[in-house]
Amino acid sequence: MHWQVLTHSAWMRALNFWLFPLMLGLVVVIFAEGTPRQMPVAVVDADASVESRALIRHLDASPALDVKWRYSSMKEAKEALRTGEVFAVVAIATDFQEGLRRGLSPEVVVFYNSQYLLAGKLASSALREAAAVYSAKSGAMLRIAYGQEALSAVAQAAAVRPQMTPLFNPAMSYSHFLGTAIAPALWQLFVVMASLLALNWRWQQGPLPQQRMALAKEVFYTLGPVAFTMMIQAGLMLLAFVTLLGWQPVGHVGWILLGLLLMLLAIQAIALLLMVVIQDLVRALSISAAYLAPAFAFMGVTFPRHDMPALGQFWANLMPSTHYMAVQIAVADQGARGVHVLGALGALMVFGLLALAALWRLNQQSQQEETSHGTV
Amino acid sequence: MALFRALLHEWQLVRHNKAVMLVLFGGILFYAFLYPLPYLHNVAGEQAVVVLDEDKTALSRTLIRRVDAMPQTRVQAVVPSMQEARAMITAGEAQGLLIVPRDFQKDLLLGVPAVLSYAGDASYFLIYGTVVEGLLTAGTTLALEVQALRSVAVKETKAPLVAQIQPVAVSVKPVFNAQAGYLNYVIPAVFVLILQQTMLISLGSVTVLDRQARAITPPSHSIGVALLARFILFVGLYSVFAALYFGFFFKLYVVQAVASWLPLLALSVLFLGVCALLAMLLGYYYSAPEQSILLVLVSSLPLVFLVGFAWPVTSLPIWLDAAVNLVPARPGILGLLSLNQMGAQWQQMAAHIGWLLVQGCIFIALLWWRVQREANIRLGL
Repeated sequence: MHWQVLTHSAWMRALNFWLFPLMLGLVVVIFAEGTPRQMPVAVVDADASVESRALIRHLDASPALDVKWRYSSMKEAKEALRTGEVFAVVAIATDFQEGLRRGLSPEVVVFYNSQYLLAGKLASSALREAAAVYSAKSGAMLRIAYGQEALSAVAQAAAVRPQMTPLFNPAMSYSHFLGTAIAPALWQLFVVMASLLALNWRWQQGPLPQQRMALAKEVFYTLGPVAFTMMIQAGLMLLAFVTLLGWQPVGHVGWILLGLLLMLLAIQAIALLLMVVIQDLVRALSISAAYLAPAFAFMGVTFPRHDMPALGQFWANLMPSTHYMAVQIAVADQGARGVHVLGALGALMVFGLLALAALWRLNQQSQQEETSHGTV
Repeated sequence: MALFRALLHEWQLVRHNKAVMLVLFGGILFYAFLYPLPYLHNVAGEQAVVVLDEDKTALSRTLIRRVDAMPQTRVQAVVPSMQEARAMITAGEAQGLLIVPRDFQKDLLLGVPAVLSYAGDASYFLIYGTVVEGLLTAGTTLALEVQALRSVAVKETKAPLVAQIQPVAVSVKPVFNAQAGYLNYVIPAVFVLILQQTMLISLGSVTVLDRQARAITPPSHSIGVALLARFILFVGLYSVFAALYFGFFFKLYVVQAVASWLPLLALSVLFLGVCALLAMLLGYYYSAPEQSILLVLVSSLPLVFLVGFAWPVTSLPIWLDAAVNLVPARPGILGLLSLNQMGAQWQQMAAHIGWLLVQGCIFIALLWWRVQREANIRLGL
């Protein structure tokens, strides 16, 4: 094994030893809140009554919301929405209190910023939820005011009680949902970068052997050390998921480790092919950037894969991370057994064929080089 | 005139560098097609739901038909046991589950609170949100209808009917991105990030290569003129790319854009200028052109979640939020979104413009310091 490949440059040392743990830490810190809390919202309270203030207090009490500004006109509130200062605006009309007490079902309008889709939607659903509780409460009060018995009034104010269960991610945590997908996508990039740098280093060390077996062995000796450090980093990643992101794999972790190993081999096969065909480190890195940098978007975690157009699904299938992620989610979150993920694992193995093609081409190249040297 | 010749010289440097040309004219176009690709259908479509019907009454069957008719959900199967429902979800055949409890119809008609249980695959948040929205709307509307019928029939209270059903009417409206679609959400922000990142690669590698060349052969232009020419060349090229992205591609993907061209151009040029300064500064720290690509590959994905469009700025730790202000993409993306997608006025963006100017000053000062230092080293001082 050419262990010296791991330390031959500052970037190789960074990629193989310390940079990935640092990036893992960054991902953990970004999503440390789990679910966004205290999202800034504004209210336009045209009524300024006891009831409207009670509603606002209700909204502010929600841990997801922070009623940051109270405006007297919709114009000012819209400005705050435009500059991104608040994620949503609640508009309470002038006749709110009167409407409520007379049982006219007054309207409360929530405008949310759908340009910041995630923040806007979270803020609007927190507002909707808090307002619904307030609504049910005042409904019960109204029935009591009209002389209904308190117990049945409370029961009927909320006749159907929805009970929502998030399957496979019980805490509805974004650190779990996004963190456990971003990290493997980043790891994929680290593997391709370190592998290309390793191959480039070997290319610079002098001619490759002629004989086919010796050539394969030489490639193995160059990529092996990278595979070793990268698998350690992957183990570290799973450890960080468990200790820092509240990830509790339901199924057997063995399948996930197998998935990671096959993904690593798939990426190294791709790196080898790129290096052999392009024969230039900068352009090979450029191409792999174009190919693998958008991998996260195609994993299907943020946007469902079955809702992508056919070309998008096809492109998603060309990336190892897509297949690995299918294994990780099925095994860790949904508790699937090995047989359910054999398809995805098999897909990862198909990438291995690229390594054979690359080796064949590399063998050809080195023999051509030999003959050209021979004629000189 | 010297500047004009320097410009031509810089263009020759770019033109003969295959890797840089690949990024500038291949990468920019390729990304413009690739990044929007997953989201072309814009919103998540119908998600498959499995129903466990323990009630088996006319009302529960009505509910199931309603769920099937929702735009967000379709009923994949009605199963008799929880085990089968679970198996379908694990196998990925359904993304959501609705449980209609025993006595659902009876309870509703008697005015006893009935519990409807919904579950969705929360490993995928967008699917979960869509499933829950569909199920919740179907369930609540049906319940309200039954309740209204019952109120009319039983008359337990004299409270007005509308107030019994819905004491406060809450309506929720998306602003700026009327469909709440994914294309409108991701594309305007990611395109700005692509401009920054490809500039860091292309201009960064041109700069490091020129530095190395200067160390060997005497340069044809003084470093000040060369850097100025390179700055003008790249900001010019990228203004064309920005026009292509914000003009042609926004139209192509039907991304809403409301700013008039002058403020848009001004803010874009300011942003691109600051990106160019950062790219040249980093070019003075690299020792080989590939390092520009490595840096971009490592930083791109975290930046998506740091700049403030995908993950709320208010949820970042304060120190991290403050640090990201020194990346051009942060004020660039937030500013351009405000201006072009959300229709803010030029004056309302003082903070974003201010940060870009602060960054510009810092990058120029550091760049000048590095240039001087390198010149002194070469002279052996």
